Amino acid sequence: MLRWAAIAAVALLLALLPLYGDAVTIQYGINALLVAVLAQAWNILGGFTGYASFGNSTFYGLGTYGTAIAMAQFGLPFWTGLLLGAALAMLCALLVGIPILRLRGPYFAIATLGLSAALSALVANLDIAGRNIGLILPLTRNDTLFYEASLALLAAATLAVAWLSASRFGMGLIAIREDEDAAAVMGVNTTLYKVVALVLSALFTAVAGGIHAYWITFIDPASAFDSTLNVRMVIMTVFGGPGTVLGPVVGAFILSAIYEALASSISTAAALFFGIVIVLAVIFMPRGLVDLGWGFRRMGPRYLLETVRQYRL
Amino acid sequence: MSAPLLEIAGLSAGYGAVPVLRDIALKVDVGEIVTLVGSNGAGKTTLLRAISRTLGARGRLAFDGRDLAPLSPEAVFALGLVQVPEGRQLFGRMTVEENLLMGAYRRKDAAGVAQSFERVYRLFPVLFERRRQKAGSLSGGEQQMCAVGRALMAAPRLLVVDEMSLGLAPVVVDQLLGVLSDIRGEGVTVLLVEQDVFAAFSIADRGYVMETGRIVREGKVSELAQDPEVRRAYLGVAEGG
Repeated sequence: MLRWAAIAAVALLLALLPLYGDAVTIQYGINALLVAVLAQAWNILGGFTGYASFGNSTFYGLGTYGTAIAMAQFGLPFWTGLLLGAALAMLCALLVGIPILRLRGPYFAIATLGLSAALSALVANLDIAGRNIGLILPLTRNDTLFYEASLALLAAATLAVAWLSASRFGMGLIAIREDEDAAAVMGVNTTLYKVVALVLSALFTAVAGGIHAYWITFIDPASAFDSTLNVRMVIMTVFGGPGTVLGPVVGAFILSAIYEALASSISTAAALFFGIVIVLAVIFMPRGLVDLGWGFRRMGPRYLLETVRQYRL
Repeated sequence: MSAPLLEIAGLSAGYGAVPVLRDIALKVDVGEIVTLVGSNGAGKTTLLRAISRTLGARGRLAFDGRDLAPLSPEAVFALGLVQVPEGRQLFGRMTVEENLLMGAYRRKDAAGVAQSFERVYRLFPVLFERRRQKAGSLSGGEQQMCAVGRALMAAPRLLVVDEMSLGLAPVVVDQLLGVLSDIRGEGVTVLLVEQDVFAAFSIADRGYVMETGRIVREGKVSELAQDPEVRRAYLGVAEGG
């Protein structure tokens, strides 16, 4: 009960930020919220089933290009663009997921690795996508709108994950992560479940990309299909707590705050910082910040030793 | 005499070009506890894989008169032929209760599932005490109980238990054997695959002895226990292959 009240209070505080925050804070907020959406979306497949996707930056790129093409080339309204981008990304998730998610283990991660490079090359040769110059979207100076849209999307993604973690479907996904053979025998249609999770992940990722494109008003192949963005999704989710409801959001907020602070002074320090974070996180808190919080409350600093021992590092 | 629940005849199977099982014949009648014993590498687990359809095989393989050959592992499970696999295959980071619930994943009857829960918790009170604990944090014996409990949640008609005693303390093995006897009384037929011949014979009605991919002896366990060959194998002198 108290937990829900706290979450509601934080959500309200975030929703009212445009009333009391300055322009820079709101802009930082839009970025942080969108990155949190990406982490949460990655969590749906990566956190629950344990299948690490490196194709999510592709879904993000398709979301940005869908929105940009609809708005810049056809003069369609923003929401139509979001729909187009989401449809493209979900279609791509289906086409990639159905053949590759039949396989088990690391093949999926390997197969998705090259995807964003391939699509980047593809759009760089399409007239409708502005070739390698990119596209310019109509300008709308309304950061409050973008902020609230991003917040609403994060809320939707988080509610979806909350539903997942309490649902029969979500339990099937977790069972896949824990023992895929046993899950299959017990009646979990593993391929179907993984594909649905990937498509759901693609949906939220693409909408985040669409909002970002309209906000920034300019996209090109390199920024839309940026594979380092995918790495950030993984780091933030793993840092916060994969397979949990709030972990990826908390992880994304904390890491983007630190990243922002570092990137404004020395940009190489930011990259170095992320490298250090992932090494420390994997060693001391392989189950993320959320589990670290519980563990510390239960057994204090001994938690760190316990995890190191348990995972035999 | 009604038709056997599980009927295997002329069954051969192997991995790639390597044959493992040759001309296996085995049957389990409704309400029996049948044990399949044999040393390491005799082909027991391979036979179970053929039964659960996770390994292709040639020959007759029927459950309740129904040919299993065209069925998938899930379909075999859904018919009520449920295995407790060697190594348990629990969902380690799910709670005990969630593990049990996974056993009933494809069942739609909420009342029946609630009944199964009650039955499993009655058979294994310790699982009720630890129902909120992660399955991976249980002791070996409790994990085996959880694995048996999860299989029972599927409302099995034939429960196939593979190497239940492996790595467990004798007192825990006795407790688990007692539970298998109890559930037989509740209408579940049991096929128990064991290396621990002494434990298996203590509750089984009939037994099969397997060596290098063949059934070499079969009969009532009281007769098998007197057989000099079996006694030799039981003492660990015979070679498995």
